[in-house]
Amino acid sequence: MGAHPGPRVAGADLASEYFAQLLDRFEQASAAIGGAGNLELEMAGLRVRLRPAGGSLRAGLLAPFEHLACQGAGDPDLTISLFDTASTGIEPPAPLWEPIAAAPGTNPVARLRSERACVLAAAGSRGLTAALPAEGIAVFHIPDAAAIPTSERAAPIREALQLLMAARGRLMTHAGAVGRAGRGVLLVGRGGSGKSTLALSCALAGMEIVADDYVLLEPDSLTAHAMQSTAKLTEDSATRLGIPAGAIDAAGFEPTLKGPAKALVDIRKLAPTTLKRQLEVGTIVVPRLRPHATANIAVACGLGEAGSAVRSISAAEGLRAVAPSTIVQAGFGGGASLAALADLVRRVPGYSLELSPDPAANAAAVDRLVAELD
Amino acid sequence: MSESRFRIGPEIVHETVDGEVIAIDLADGSYYSLAGSGPAVWELLGQGVSEAEIGAVLAGRFEAEEAEIAAAVAALLAQLRENGLIVSEEGTAAEPPPANGSAGKVPFEPPRLERYNDMKDYFLLDPIHEVDPAGWPRPAA
Repeated sequence: MGAHPGPRVAGADLASEYFAQLLDRFEQASAAIGGAGNLELEMAGLRVRLRPAGGSLRAGLLAPFEHLACQGAGDPDLTISLFDTASTGIEPPAPLWEPIAAAPGTNPVARLRSERACVLAAAGSRGLTAALPAEGIAVFHIPDAAAIPTSERAAPIREALQLLMAARGRLMTHAGAVGRAGRGVLLVGRGGSGKSTLALSCALAGMEIVADDYVLLEPDSLTAHAMQSTAKLTEDSATRLGIPAGAIDAAGFEPTLKGPAKALVDIRKLAPTTLKRQLEVGTIVVPRLRPHATANIAVACGLGEAGSAVRSISAAEGLRAVAPSTIVQAGFGGGASLAALADLVRRVPGYSLELSPDPAANAAAVDRLVAELD
Repeated sequence: MSESRFRIGPEIVHETVDGEVIAIDLADGSYYSLAGSGPAVWELLGQGVSEAEIGAVLAGRFEAEEAEIAAAVAALLAQLRENGLIVSEEGTAAEPPPANGSAGKVPFEPPRLERYNDMKDYFLLDPIHEVDPAGWPRPAA
């Protein structure tokens, strides 16, 4: 750690070299502004140390991990060092790659991979991640801790956690998780399919919630572990669920690159007692939105006791719902991730849940599926 | 004799579940479901095979006229190539597969390939450029 980068030569491991340079800049930033105190977490059964340079990042980015804080000494399994340029005055190292031209409206990402290291460098105001996954260390940089895009705050240091956790057998899965008494369901589907609304409906109904959008899945034990304690909701969903203003992030509803504006909801404020570190997954549920106009017809036809139509789905259908967005967003280790998710859908039953406009009815439908778990 | 042999593309990850192949193209985020007799073809593609070899193996496995099977295989290979799921290379024909009798054959279901591209937006908004060891980014698909 902290070794000075070697000269840039053809055939060199650019990813490792850039990691070393970025870590060096973090050390400079930390020295310039002083550490803000490490945040020691227990995440997915591992000790994770977050080392922000200065207080801005801790407040602006890392607060959603506070519910996983733990006490005690000992070496961490994973360490992520973080700094920004605005508050420390330290720039990240110049890219070791040729610049990428950005088409309007796009944020091209440069990706470097070697056997030892991975670098993901997005354009603009977004984060830069360099990691040595097998060694359990990563560095994260963002231009301005006071102006972090909502997409980054919604899933803080997602790439760093994904890379380091994957090397420890935890698959970052694009899914929510809710349940009762430590057992529950994975809510899967691509963005905009209704996962977050359904997960928060369940939390408001008193069920346990681990996440609305991303979990760390241990494939062998089928355990879904929590990451951040925030959820992302559209204004329509927030109104429908009656989310109090105090639980909605101060930045309010911000436009997303695609689809309607969304705001971050703090689950710790919304339903603090329901937030859990982990659940054992017994079922997969694929929420499906339906036009509101047909909802009353569905109720009248007796589709589900309270208006939410539940139907059994094949393992292949479950895999189509969970795998593409998990693997496309992860960007690394696609084959192994797909194999782990295929194993998951072979082991647990899957259902689709056609969502009713009534959040309580949807939560009740999920609750019934949880109650049916062995 | 040299002929075109087909194999699964290098950017494709895939799993077979419940007799259905789910394949994801890591280059552009599109994903596919392959059902019917398609998974039988896909399994052979994992070994690198020619169109004729696929036809012969399927003819030994399914109850249908060879011409019907050959036409279905040709159409599927064209679809798979068009979508970048398989690549072809020139190679030498392997030993012809053993002839099969009609015992144990099952009814032939034409291969069904379905394409989903709802992940495409992730790629369009955040196109990923792989950087080679010399520092040159390869443009995103």
